[in-house]
Amino acid sequence: MTLEAEPAAAPLAASRPAVALTGVSKTFNPGTSRAVHALADITLDVAAGEFVTLIGPSGCGKSTLLRLIANLIEPTAGAVTLGGKSAAHARADQDYGMAFQQAGLFEWRTVVRNVELPLELKGWSRGRRRERAMEMLALVKLEDFSKHHPWQLSGGMQQRVAIARALAAAPALLLMDEPFGALDEMTREHMQSELLRICTDTGTSVLFVTHSIPEAVYLSDRVVVMSPRPGRVTGEVTTDLGEDRGVESREERRFFEKVTEVREMLRGIGGATDDELAIERMRTAGVDDR
Amino acid sequence: MKAARRVMMFLVAFALVAAGWELYKVLGPEEGGKLLGWQVLPRTAGSAMPHSWDIVRRLFQPERPGASRDAWRLVLAGAWFTFRLAMVGFLVGAVVGVALAVAMARYGIVRRGLLPYLAVSQTIPLIALAPIVVSWSDKLHPFGHDLPKWTTVSLMSAFLAFFPAAVGTLRGLTSLPEVADELLRSYAATWRKTLIRVRFPAAVPSMAPAFRLAASASVIGAIVAEISTGLAGGIGRLVLEWAGQVTSDPPKAYTAAFGAAALGLVVIGVISVLEMVLMRNRPKESTA
Repeated sequence: MTLEAEPAAAPLAASRPAVALTGVSKTFNPGTSRAVHALADITLDVAAGEFVTLIGPSGCGKSTLLRLIANLIEPTAGAVTLGGKSAAHARADQDYGMAFQQAGLFEWRTVVRNVELPLELKGWSRGRRRERAMEMLALVKLEDFSKHHPWQLSGGMQQRVAIARALAAAPALLLMDEPFGALDEMTREHMQSELLRICTDTGTSVLFVTHSIPEAVYLSDRVVVMSPRPGRVTGEVTTDLGEDRGVESREERRFFEKVTEVREMLRGIGGATDDELAIERMRTAGVDDR
Repeated sequence: MKAARRVMMFLVAFALVAAGWELYKVLGPEEGGKLLGWQVLPRTAGSAMPHSWDIVRRLFQPERPGASRDAWRLVLAGAWFTFRLAMVGFLVGAVVGVALAVAMARYGIVRRGLLPYLAVSQTIPLIALAPIVVSWSDKLHPFGHDLPKWTTVSLMSAFLAFFPAAVGTLRGLTSLPEVADELLRSYAATWRKTLIRVRFPAAVPSMAPAFRLAASASVIGAIVAEISTGLAGGIGRLVLEWAGQVTSDPPKAYTAAFGAAALGLVVIGVISVLEMVLMRNRPKESTA
């Protein structure tokens, strides 16, 4: 399926990058007048255990990139591998967990049964999956709410359930698309610290998409800056904030320096704002906005 | 609490309709109103609009002078007979409807090919269909037995019931939010597994009102089919027979109509209870 041969040796897997993208491009509606170059020639690695954030203006293809890795869409060109496996193979093995801006919990299932769902679909026995789901709920500190229904929880709690669910099958990789985008600032900062703790505890690699520069800097080992039309990687900032980031880390000079560095890199690419994108969309639709 | 309020509201609405009926009887013209020679206002004379209490009283009088049974017993027996036929029709319609919806949700080509025909099927008047179905059932002799006559009635009842069931279920099965859809795909789960564990539960909120519609359609279907196939024993036949006596015994005709309406309400009530059980774990604001 992939270009490289699959070596049988298992120990090698640990040293393999969690995600490897080589020359990945994506064009929607290719060959038509509505063709959109979403991504062009992306080459990117996420090392095992690394926390990488994708940041960039609207329309830079961050979410598209995440979905390519998740094998929810196919690349037009290039190779996507997860821990050495093809994306399709990795999806079949549930090697990654996913979380979105909406928690996407199922309202008729209790919290614990929501976390169990991926295990249930995988065919785990009732006892085993309940045990695992309770472990995951303990990890996000919601074990007391296991019998509640999602609509009885706050937005932040729902998002924690979604993270517990994404981690249930013990994936080596978490793919997160603006998971805290709909939360208020206080909850958001709390969730960021919780996420870091969980990832350190479980050794999970994370590829995280966000609009927020401080969020990107605080969470990541590495911030990858993308530019739009077509989406490509324009730069990288390594944060070096250290393993044990706490509340104080957000007030350190190093943190602000890194935030500034990312901000300047983003300004450099001159990305369009949402307003500009809306105007352009109207233009292409033949609406004269003068 | 909420159920009690609903019952109260129903009784109030019922009383208001009766009051409106009586009010019109007082205020309306005795021989009806005419506009440019057209009869536009109904006559209020006792033969056309009996008093509401006369209709109720008629239920507790012998069916015909000298008969041993009160009218309500016949109405009840007829309603029970029709109820069973309608339930068979409803169940068959629900099973067929859900099966069609699953096929249409799974395969786009089935949906595109089938859905227009399903919509067209509902424009055929049941009365036009009745003689055809009857002639078919006369020719069918499964295992050497004749088909009982009631099966044609249930079949036509199912014909009306399957459509709302199919459309409502299809809408429910295909209305999964994009997040949920992407999640399920990320689990690489088979469609069959997600159908049972996620898609059907997610479809319940749009299936419930569709099934309520299907239930009332099955009752209407059974009543109309009874009349058009001439099957005796049900409320449909009773409505027809007693309507024939409207000049001699006006309240009697209304008691049969009353029974038919009550039957529809009971069936909807049964489905609503089922719905409440299925929806008990859902956020409360979405229940209509």
